[in-house]
Amino acid sequence: MSTDWDVAVVGAGTAGLVAAQVAAERGLRVVAYERLSPGGQLVNLTTLHDHPGGTGPELMSALTAAAEEAGVRIAYAEVTRVHPGGPARLETGDGEVTAGAVVVAAGLSAGRLGLPGEEALVGRGISTCAGCDGPLFRGRAVAVVGDDEWTAEEALELAGFAAAVTVLVPGEPRWSAARAARLAADGRVDVVTGAAVTALRGEGVLSGVVVRTADGERELAVAGVFPFVDRRGPEGLVAGLAADAEGRLVPGDGVLVAGDARAGAEQSLAAAEADGRAAGEAAVAALAATAGSLRIVDPTHGVLPEGDAGPVEATDSTATWADVALFTNSKPNATELLRGLGERLQAHWELPELGFAAKESASVAADPDQIDWLSQRFKMVLVAVGD
Amino acid sequence: MELERRGVVAPLVVTETFLPLVQAQAQARRVQPRLLVVPHPVGGLTGTELAGRIEGAAAELLRMADEARGQS
Repeated sequence: MSTDWDVAVVGAGTAGLVAAQVAAERGLRVVAYERLSPGGQLVNLTTLHDHPGGTGPELMSALTAAAEEAGVRIAYAEVTRVHPGGPARLETGDGEVTAGAVVVAAGLSAGRLGLPGEEALVGRGISTCAGCDGPLFRGRAVAVVGDDEWTAEEALELAGFAAAVTVLVPGEPRWSAARAARLAADGRVDVVTGAAVTALRGEGVLSGVVVRTADGERELAVAGVFPFVDRRGPEGLVAGLAADAEGRLVPGDGVLVAGDARAGAEQSLAAAEADGRAAGEAAVAALAATAGSLRIVDPTHGVLPEGDAGPVEATDSTATWADVALFTNSKPNATELLRGLGERLQAHWELPELGFAAKESASVAADPDQIDWLSQRFKMVLVAVGD
Repeated sequence: MELERRGVVAPLVVTETFLPLVQAQAQARRVQPRLLVVPHPVGGLTGTELAGRIEGAAAELLRMADEARGQS
């Protein structure tokens, strides 16, 4: 069977990176597809309580480096559909590819409350990343909505910034006794069970929520809400594959599923690592069973394609050193920071003006048209990427 | 990072917290970006605090920019 890849991994979070590394270490040609950047939810955690890996970004960096060292190719494209079979076919943003085995480790979607006006308030009070946005709420009241380990961990992280953190649990908490104890010990955290958020308050910026409990409805004044409910698995990604009520996939039809995307998965870093390892081993075993005892090794495996070996010079740019721009990710204060730095450079080089471009959101990839425009029009671009 | 691959001088402004993430991305994309690292966080800072971030990073930006222009 001739395929583009031995193993294609969908999602480069913890489970996906570990699965990819395990398969690559066995000499397989492995690609891991990631829509934006490796790391999955790890990049949102500034402290890891159940793992010796330091911060989330540090562990993610180590996992990515280990996968790359093993020979995994990380491809920055979204996989929109997987067709199981021999070989499996994957529809991606870069075209269609084939693989002998597929591991789906696409994680879960961001939490949402499902309320009118919610999307307009994302980034304006509604967030799903305490590590990124927690400092915005320093000294103010916030709410966290959910019932799982992730909810508890985010609430604890927010308690380091906010004046008060109300955890609104739709039913009863599902988090561990250890996390329950940590929540109880934090004087800034209040856990309310049997609570549903029924409405959002605020014009342009969130100012509060309406909470319904057994005692009736009440207004809760908060500057931020962090929803970790209604997180969905990648239901529909794999043709013909069943999903549970939360959209998490049931492995089958030759498709392996690892991490939070798998039905029944435990939400923990250790479980995601173990799941990824098991999926990687299963992919190796499945391919070995298909190939028999003889395996022909691609002698170019691990050698970077020529196009990846270095910079690609722009050929149609006429920009000079007078052409300088700022490119912001639109996170709070990122534009102001860039403008301040840009003004210094403008004065230093006596530039008449600075160009400007903005991504709609830090959580989406840059628009290719924007990249084309910036690379053709400007010699230098100051970019805000991680803040 | 794609801008640097296309020959544009593109310093990336990143906070210390996100530095490992950006470095991993750079490694995966086979580029060595110019990094301007500032203390975390940036969001939520007052005007005075933000001015401090700008003050702290400006000298390195100007050095980086002069060096890039001098090499061209």
